[in-house]
Amino acid sequence: MGSAKPGGKILILAEDACAYPGADATGQGHMSYPADTYILRVKASVLFPEHFYLDCFDKGIAGIIIMSCGAETPYPGAYDALARRIDRVYALMKERGLDIRRLRLTAICTVCTRAFLKEVQQMHDLVSPLGPPGSERPAAA
Amino acid sequence: MVKKKKSLASPEPTPGGKVGVYVCHCGGNISDAVDVEQVCAQARRVPGVVVARDNMFMCSDPGQEMIIEDLKSGLVERVVVASCSPSLHETTFRNALVRAGGNPYVYEHANLREQVSWVHHGPEATAKATRLVAAAAAKAAQLKPLDPIRVEVRPRALVIGGGMAGLKAALELAERGQAVVLVEKSPFLGGQVAQLQELAPGGETAAAVIGELAGAVLQHPAITVYTCAQVEGFEGYIGNFKLKITRTSPESAEYSEKLERLSQSGCGPGEYVPFVGLMPAAIPESREEIDLEAGVIILATGMRPYQPRQGEYGYKDFPEVVTLPEFIRALAAAPAAGDTLVLHGRHIRGAALIHCVGSRQIPGIHEENPGGYLNEYCSRTCCAAILHAANLIKERHPQTKFFDFYRDIRTYGRGQEELYTRAAANQVLFFRFEAGEEPQILQNPDAKGSPLLVRVKDVLTFGEELEVPVDLVVLAVGQEPNNISDLVEKMKIPVGADRFLQEVHPKLRPVELSVAGILLAGTCQAPFGVGEACAAAGAAAVKAAAILSRGYVELDPFVAEVDLSKCTGTGACVEACLADGALAMVEMEVGGQKVQRARVNPVMCLGCGACVAVCPENAINIQGWTLKQFESMVDMIVSDEYLEQA
Repeated sequence: MGSAKPGGKILILAEDACAYPGADATGQGHMSYPADTYILRVKASVLFPEHFYLDCFDKGIAGIIIMSCGAETPYPGAYDALARRIDRVYALMKERGLDIRRLRLTAICTVCTRAFLKEVQQMHDLVSPLGPPGSERPAAA
Repeated sequence: MVKKKKSLASPEPTPGGKVGVYVCHCGGNISDAVDVEQVCAQARRVPGVVVARDNMFMCSDPGQEMIIEDLKSGLVERVVVASCSPSLHETTFRNALVRAGGNPYVYEHANLREQVSWVHHGPEATAKATRLVAAAAAKAAQLKPLDPIRVEVRPRALVIGGGMAGLKAALELAERGQAVVLVEKSPFLGGQVAQLQELAPGGETAAAVIGELAGAVLQHPAITVYTCAQVEGFEGYIGNFKLKITRTSPESAEYSEKLERLSQSGCGPGEYVPFVGLMPAAIPESREEIDLEAGVIILATGMRPYQPRQGEYGYKDFPEVVTLPEFIRALAAAPAAGDTLVLHGRHIRGAALIHCVGSRQIPGIHEENPGGYLNEYCSRTCCAAILHAANLIKERHPQTKFFDFYRDIRTYGRGQEELYTRAAANQVLFFRFEAGEEPQILQNPDAKGSPLLVRVKDVLTFGEELEVPVDLVVLAVGQEPNNISDLVEKMKIPVGADRFLQEVHPKLRPVELSVAGILLAGTCQAPFGVGEACAAAGAAAVKAAAILSRGYVELDPFVAEVDLSKCTGTGACVEACLADGALAMVEMEVGGQKVQRARVNPVMCLGCGACVAVCPENAINIQGWTLKQFESMVDMIVSDEYLEQA
């Protein structure tokens, strides 16, 4: 599939209880996806403050996919708190002229291999033409 | 109650360094796609890495010995293994660190098989593997030894629910020498199984299985049973749950029919009554309160059959339309022999069976239930149950015809496919319908014929519209979880989108909830057959017994930790905390002044990190998963420095 070069790197925050095993299941099925993706295993994405995402973009990460457990998180209330935080991150991204599509909040289950592939491919397809963060025009948001 | 275990690490690793990287070929699974030698070569250039080695199978004894020797010699103090998924071998390698006399938590895992070599090929696979290893090394360099959280355990289990799963769990625990308290909301034991007669697919009677199980529970000296009992107060954590149980006389109408049936049966306490269950003790005359301490809790709160809306398949519009549980109850009063089944004095010449009622509901196609939800799941037991009933009747009353209307037949388990085959041999006639084109139940205009008509667009005859006159329609209703919102709220336990309780992991930790010490048994988790519910109950009981018999538990130390040198006492973390009692502001003396600072109760902390994100000073972190560690991982993912020098 895609190459790691054109669009920049995609960071995936994959929650340990759902999306990370989902990514493993994708691998177990030998289902290929773009290699510009770097999965970080996290207990819950609610851990990351707003500045973490902005810092990632500053460092050159082209896209971030938060693969949460959604409403089925083992930490009751975590998803709602996360969703509210991501809204705030979107506002900050707009202020900086970053295309908010670079950050995506999704829910991926332990067997959601198709959804995993779709999310990765969509982000890859987005960041490839978009280029590194900051290269878009402010109006893009 | 909570003790810090003696540190496993000695001596303390050097801050920020001496990382050993061990890359596995996985017998070619990794090295066929990833240039392992190149990964090692580049890993050696990552700051903090002192050695990078490879092995055909790192999980093999020689592979692990390689790590152990490097640790023992003092060459390395922190370890990164780059191999298959951590779900397979993270524990293996942590244990290797312990065998080397080290701390198991100065370990990080890089997933090069499931997330690299099995999904990428060529140079990009090696490049990605290198960055993931570098990221893992960057995290490992910052890891510090952690001590497991040791919690003493109260030597008692509480089982909530007196159906099959609850009874089975209680008995299994008691037979392992554990004290058990079983709490049942209703006056009866036996749960929904007591509403059945013969159980599919084997044909055992509900009376026999409940009688045997409940009898053994009631006779066991280690089990205390409270019926008419509910959990009103809950606090604590694994090993030390404190509960307030109240026993009250049930509301007048709630169980009046069952109590009436019990009274008519002439049976006394401890005797099984069909469609009632087994009442072990008299109903309390006044409110009783029981304070209880337990080390573990098993939830066996069960399910209820789906109750169709009025008009759904003609339910309650036509008296001849009944649910399967209602049909089973009517059968019990029917003559056991005769060419034709007779129900309530009516000869049943033809009966329609309709599958997937209240199950596999599709958004946009099916009407939402009164609570505004759809049951999108398959209830898994209804196909077998209704075909079992059809076979039973057909073999007793050969002149009664059965017409089976299904979307899919899901007789999935052992002995169940035989039910389907037997139904076909018994000349049950099958019709298949599509979702959204469910059979319609109409009044038969032919007053001399059967009272109802079932109209269906039959997939098996390529969409032909058929009308079948019948005397009875039986709806194979699915399973829904009992409403335990009060327990969910009190215990802060996760509920899935399907409203069943949500286990930590469906395969790897199938009877555990994310709240440590609370386990799942039976149909509160998902639709199960009786056998499956008992298997789950057995698993939960063994898990609970293991905790109780050890006398203490050691929890992973991945919980929040406050850095008092940074904490300014904003209280934001306490406000953001998702677990009651995990974080609190307490008064303490800092620099000679009394100040408010955050304090973590490590046993109550879920380790989610909701507190981490809101601290303006980053004074609180999850041990082993700190924000700085993640930031360093990102740094290594974006950095090209170590690549350029390779």
